[in-house]
Amino acid sequence: MARMRFLCDTERCIDCSGCVVACKEGNHVPVGINRRRVITMKQGEPGEKSLSIACMHCSDAPCIAVCPVDAIYQRDDGIVLVDKKTCIGCGYCFMACPFGAPQFPKGNVFGARGAMDKCTFCAGGPEENFGKEETQLYGQNRIAEGKVPLCASMCATKALLAGDGSVVADVYRDRVFKRGSGVNAWGWSKAYDKS
Amino acid sequence: MTNSLNDIRHAKSMIFIGSNATEAHPVSMQHILHAKEVNNAPLIVVDPRFTKLAAKATEYVRIRPGTDCAFMMGLINEIIANGWEDKEFIRTRVAGYEEMVEVAKHYTPEVVENITGIPAKQTRRVADILAKSRPTSLTWCMGGTQHHIGSSITRSFCILQLVLGNMGKSGGGTNIFRGHDNVQGATDMCVLADNLPGYYGLAEGSWKHWCRVWDVDYDSIASRFASKEWMESKGFSLARWYEGVLGEEKIESPSPIKAMIQWGCGSNSNSQYNRVVKALNMLDLLVVIDPFPTIVAAVTKTDNIYLLPSASQYETSGSVTSTSRQIQWRFKVVDPVYDSKDDYEIMSLLVSKLGFADEFYKNIKEVPEDITREINKGTLTIGYNGQTPERIKAHMENWHTFDIDDLQAKGGPCDGDYYGMPWPCWTTEHPGTPILYDISKPVAKGGLPFRNRFGDVTTYVMTGREEGQLAAKGVCNPGSEVQGGYSEFKEVVPGTNWKTDLSQETIKNAINRGMAPFGNARARCVVWNFPDQVPIHREPLHSPRPDLVEKYPTYEDKANHFRVETRYKSEQNPDLVKQYPYVLTTGRQVEHMGGGAETRSSKYLSELQPEMYVEINPRLANDLGIRKGDMVIVESPEGAKITVKAFITPRVDEKTIFLPFHFAGTLMGESYLKDYPEGHAPYVLGDPGNTVTNYGYDIITQIQATKDGLCKVTRA
Repeated sequence: MARMRFLCDTERCIDCSGCVVACKEGNHVPVGINRRRVITMKQGEPGEKSLSIACMHCSDAPCIAVCPVDAIYQRDDGIVLVDKKTCIGCGYCFMACPFGAPQFPKGNVFGARGAMDKCTFCAGGPEENFGKEETQLYGQNRIAEGKVPLCASMCATKALLAGDGSVVADVYRDRVFKRGSGVNAWGWSKAYDKS
Repeated sequence: MTNSLNDIRHAKSMIFIGSNATEAHPVSMQHILHAKEVNNAPLIVVDPRFTKLAAKATEYVRIRPGTDCAFMMGLINEIIANGWEDKEFIRTRVAGYEEMVEVAKHYTPEVVENITGIPAKQTRRVADILAKSRPTSLTWCMGGTQHHIGSSITRSFCILQLVLGNMGKSGGGTNIFRGHDNVQGATDMCVLADNLPGYYGLAEGSWKHWCRVWDVDYDSIASRFASKEWMESKGFSLARWYEGVLGEEKIESPSPIKAMIQWGCGSNSNSQYNRVVKALNMLDLLVVIDPFPTIVAAVTKTDNIYLLPSASQYETSGSVTSTSRQIQWRFKVVDPVYDSKDDYEIMSLLVSKLGFADEFYKNIKEVPEDITREINKGTLTIGYNGQTPERIKAHMENWHTFDIDDLQAKGGPCDGDYYGMPWPCWTTEHPGTPILYDISKPVAKGGLPFRNRFGDVTTYVMTGREEGQLAAKGVCNPGSEVQGGYSEFKEVVPGTNWKTDLSQETIKNAINRGMAPFGNARARCVVWNFPDQVPIHREPLHSPRPDLVEKYPTYEDKANHFRVETRYKSEQNPDLVKQYPYVLTTGRQVEHMGGGAETRSSKYLSELQPEMYVEINPRLANDLGIRKGDMVIVESPEGAKITVKAFITPRVDEKTIFLPFHFAGTLMGESYLKDYPEGHAPYVLGDPGNTVTNYGYDIITQIQATKDGLCKVTRA
């Protein structure tokens, strides 16, 4: 069965945050909750790279392992979702997640936080597809419509890829083959003394 | 732009100078990165800042603001010194070349290094890259134009492309990126102080042409002006309209400006913003037509301001022209919400009240289609006559049939057309001109020579040399009746030329004979009606290099420049840098747009960029005792000040600071939040960057010189 994956191609990401705004706008995510974020490394210097990051829908998700009430579950297609009605807002998933994907609407990690919210890969939640409850709690269900998540479909440079992991990997591999020669080769300026 | 965004996919190298495409035109990046990855095209970025575009560059060139012309002439000189120029192209399609070469000789790589700060080695390397990887796509934006020598700088870009032979080729061209889907359209309609729609100018012949198109009596239009002389004179420009109100500078005008309509205009994109605010508060009448109240609503304290809520683009429809000269149709998806009205209705109400609705709408019954048809009827200079509403809508409905690489419809209802029928589109059967000046295709199939705009023969004042301005023998589009250069078409219909013949028989006659209605001439390197006939470097008006001010001084003062006395020589004080030691430049953020009234009213965009800031280099910050998060005062030589947060970053070098210009709503600790109409203030406010942009205006266009001012910076 196809496993859903995100991949952000740092050669293409231009740090426009279009993905961030598309997600928030399309899913009516409140200000303060960032299901997706763009981070920039070496800002303003040669080697500057940007990366759009959200829940990675891990194969062996640490958030699922630690959740005390089993509110987080993984679908057959690999998408990791939270059942907000079961979630007690303890914040343990946030501590386990290496990417900081779980977000809480109220307060910080310690304190009364409200149910955890995170990227759903635009696959909604456990409630009925396209129903009022699913839309209000989780946002859109584009996967059930056969569509790619909002963030990836919005990306103008197609830096952010989302979908069947093996297809995403093939797309990226194809790009890597086409790139990386001549002036674009890593280390070109050092190797051929272009100083 | 001469080519199109899609055509950049074919570039073998790309150079961006004065453009931050990743932030100003993010969607265009897909084509730029395609060329970089698939063609292995070197991406050269020339910018005072290491921008997000520079992060994608294969060669980054840091340049001192305002010195672009020196760099370009340096590249041209280096290319010619190595014999890399396209000799055949120059011989057959370029004029004034010898005169230009003489001027370029001065700009050796060492001279360029002294002026621009770019190492001589790098200038040589860039020239080498451009020469060996053709065609090159060259792009500039406000970083090239917003200088007091912007008109010279932009010409130097064009001359470089002529020398390299990159014009009229796929993957080449001078590709200026215009904003959103209709800035090019607004430009072409010439809502300007010195032009009528379609760049016809203000001469009597132009007014008469448009009166014929509008079907109104010329004398009735002429009677609206103080005199025929004023009718044919330039008005006040957007850059300095406020001087027509303030009365502090010498103006040449039948009267000062007393009333103003700001129709979709963010006032805080004007430099010297304090003066703008002062003028806004002195007007007898001010009308703001906008979906948002804009900062104007908050900074004005008088009682004579009218805010008319206009509809957004989703609530109305009409034809628009994109940066690639493509005409598209905006479709209405919802009726105007709340009390807003679309621009057509607002205009109709105004015109009716003013009492000339009958003449205004004489031939306009179906809105907006009839407006497009009127444009088709009269805008012959740039070939807006073939893109009828029906054809435009057909293109919109058949997007999928157009090829992404060459923009041509392959089969389907639009077969053979280029998407959007890029102008010039000479007839209703013409497919549009996707690449300007391309003589590899017949004119009827989208090819085009250089326009015969400036006569058939010229004698250069600089050298006394006489040169024919028409293209060389044998150089023309396939199927051309005249095998070589020819003049623009006149007297096909007696008493008219190709621009004024409303029957369009002249244009059809030319196309049938395989020729362009506007002639087949040479592109000129010498502009005999500009003060600098060949582009040369002149130090920015407020220059950080007193030694170079002596060598490359600015122009003489201009007594009547768009009705306002404009200072050049008397403004250029070489000692200014002692008190105002840092170079000030401005630019865009991807999250915000223009004056920011719209984007700062979007909660998500405001969340991403909530604060106004100044980019300061770490070394400069340490020297000034400024730490991360400190508030800082930036002060201009005119005495204007803003308080902004310090953003310490190596994007800028230690002599330059950068301000985004999208913020407004606060000033030096005072907030205008309460002065917005209730419930309509933007989410985030900040001091306007343009408060501290300096005095300085281009010698020809009067565009504001916001990219190369001076300032002082202190910790608040």
